[in-house]
Amino acid sequence: MANSQPRGAKVGIVANPAAGRDIRRLVAQASVFPIAEKRNMMTRAFSALGMTGVDEVMLMPDGSGLNDRIRHALKLPLPEGQVWPKVTFIDFEPEDSPADTLRAVRFMVEQGVGAIMVLGGDGTNRLVARVAGDVPLLSLSTGTNNVFPAVREATIAGLAAGLVATGRVDLKEACYRNKALRLVVNGAVSDLALVDLCISDELFVGSKALWRAEGLDQLFVSFAEADAIGLSSIAGLIRPVSRRAPFGLKLDLCPPARAANVVAAPIAPGIIVEVGIEAVSALSTGDSVPLRLRRGVVALDGEREVEFAPADQVMVRLAEDGPLSIDIERTMTLAAQHGLFVRETHALRGVGARTA
Amino acid sequence: MQLSKADLLRAYRMMKTIREFEERLHVEFATGEIPGFVHLYAGEEASATGFCMHLDGRDKIASTHRGHGHSIAKGCDVDAMMAEIYGKKAGLCGGKGGSMHIADLDKGMLGANGIVGGGPPLICGAGLAAKVLKTGGVAIAFVGDGGFNQGTTAESLNLASVWRLPCLFVVENNGYAEATSSKYSVSCDDFTDRAAAYSMPGIAVDGHDFFAVYEAAGEAIKRARSGGGPSLIEVKLNRYYGHFEGDAQTYRGVDEVKNIRATKDCLMLFRKRVEGAKLVDAAELNKIDADVLAQIENAVKKAKAAPKPTAADLMTDVYVSY
Repeated sequence: MANSQPRGAKVGIVANPAAGRDIRRLVAQASVFPIAEKRNMMTRAFSALGMTGVDEVMLMPDGSGLNDRIRHALKLPLPEGQVWPKVTFIDFEPEDSPADTLRAVRFMVEQGVGAIMVLGGDGTNRLVARVAGDVPLLSLSTGTNNVFPAVREATIAGLAAGLVATGRVDLKEACYRNKALRLVVNGAVSDLALVDLCISDELFVGSKALWRAEGLDQLFVSFAEADAIGLSSIAGLIRPVSRRAPFGLKLDLCPPARAANVVAAPIAPGIIVEVGIEAVSALSTGDSVPLRLRRGVVALDGEREVEFAPADQVMVRLAEDGPLSIDIERTMTLAAQHGLFVRETHALRGVGARTA
Repeated sequence: MQLSKADLLRAYRMMKTIREFEERLHVEFATGEIPGFVHLYAGEEASATGFCMHLDGRDKIASTHRGHGHSIAKGCDVDAMMAEIYGKKAGLCGGKGGSMHIADLDKGMLGANGIVGGGPPLICGAGLAAKVLKTGGVAIAFVGDGGFNQGTTAESLNLASVWRLPCLFVVENNGYAEATSSKYSVSCDDFTDRAAAYSMPGIAVDGHDFFAVYEAAGEAIKRARSGGGPSLIEVKLNRYYGHFEGDAQTYRGVDEVKNIRATKDCLMLFRKRVEGAKLVDAAELNKIDADVLAQIENAVKKAKAAPKPTAADLMTDVYVSY
């Protein structure tokens, strides 16, 4: 690769073995994402990261066998022409729970990784964002209702992550700051959502995913795209809001029979349902909004996570200090403009290179 | 997902009955009074309860050699189960089956099974009967992570899918096939990956969380009843005791079970949730605890006092007249 060779660059990879396994495969024909493919994505990313000069990749421990497959791959001869970084398996006993992700990411940040690749869905990215600080995320979709991460080829994602982690492309030029919806329970920030935070009158977290329109009471979105899948599509099909806009939306929902406006929204793969809209208002960053319901569950990025009862005081706040994301297209364009992938030869000196 | 207070109390009673039944057997087996082997279900109660709460008289289940929990959840009589385990004539199978062959066809419990992976083929038959006779019934095979690696299970998944049978295949993955870790012995890492190969949906659910199991089970059963065909549900859980009573469990971590009991116990989590949300009073749950303890004590006393089968009983139940 062109340009000087930076030393010591590290990249963390968080691959959620549980992503793509939830109940939406049963109720909503959601796609299946086997672990073998996650392993393949990781090794394709290794190749790309090695090519950009990343020296070390740090992996979270897992109880699913994903890392065993990686260890096996490391024993085999590398595919011709590839150079993989050193692979470090973070050493702790996994609980096979979200706590593993939080612990691993904290360790990665302490170790000074220049970027974290996240293979998962909105839920996995939400977890990583809680503790990643200012380390930029390269989010690749392997989940179900994915809005936050992109569906991109892991090789290209690995190149973009490597370019930022090694400093070949300037982080400030390649990344953007996300908003986040902070959930405040009894005065303390308990969790966050990156895309949508929805309140339902259901009593239990249950199997987590939220795919029924019945009982939805309020929806808060940090951004809303008209072509999104999931709960944020309810907002996106009424009033789209971009990721970079300095505000979000609050929607008060009701049964379609009582609503002035009804939107047909794809709230889960294959499920397009009518949702009644009572009111839509802008949500400014810094605003704290109390809930209407006194008992119910809070779904963060499409997954029920928090049960609340009348004794709890629950607020939602839109914050502008969400995680940094690597913009793959922008990073690769900058790399191209700087000629980072072009090597001049004596035979055809200068042909085709650096044509901005 | 909405559950009434009556549903919550019923779920707790079912889980508590299974737990106390197994805890008492753990104690009693050590006395040497119980013939044969027992394989205890303690720790896995949320799974059997979460599924069987949705079932009625039309439905059939097939179990594994770890079958006490499924039997209780499907409505088998606790006294008769205890008598069966003690090998007494008053037992569900006349004392001839013991722990590994408990069955009660009247309750739709097709049997615990000494054959690893023996349940799924039975469930295909039960599912086919329900489909042909249009009973609206469903059939559930509970299988362990070891049983799910058996050829019988693979054939059953295929057959159920080809015939679109109203069947559920529930993998209760407690991490060990006898003493072999599923991390070593399962090629696909995650059983749900296999569902796609049989053109059926596959999901994973936390088996320590009754509410997660109950909701997933309800959706899979609803799908099967309405003609949607079979599905595969992996329930990730833990057993508190060895593969069998007497297993030294040298393959497990020193504090593995202690930590699981302290942080993931399904009964503890259930109480925390429903008491915390003030859906049920602690006093009501405590009363269930006391009732269940007395029920199990009574079952053990009756089983011990009950007569054994006689020599004449050897010649009965050998052949069945249809």
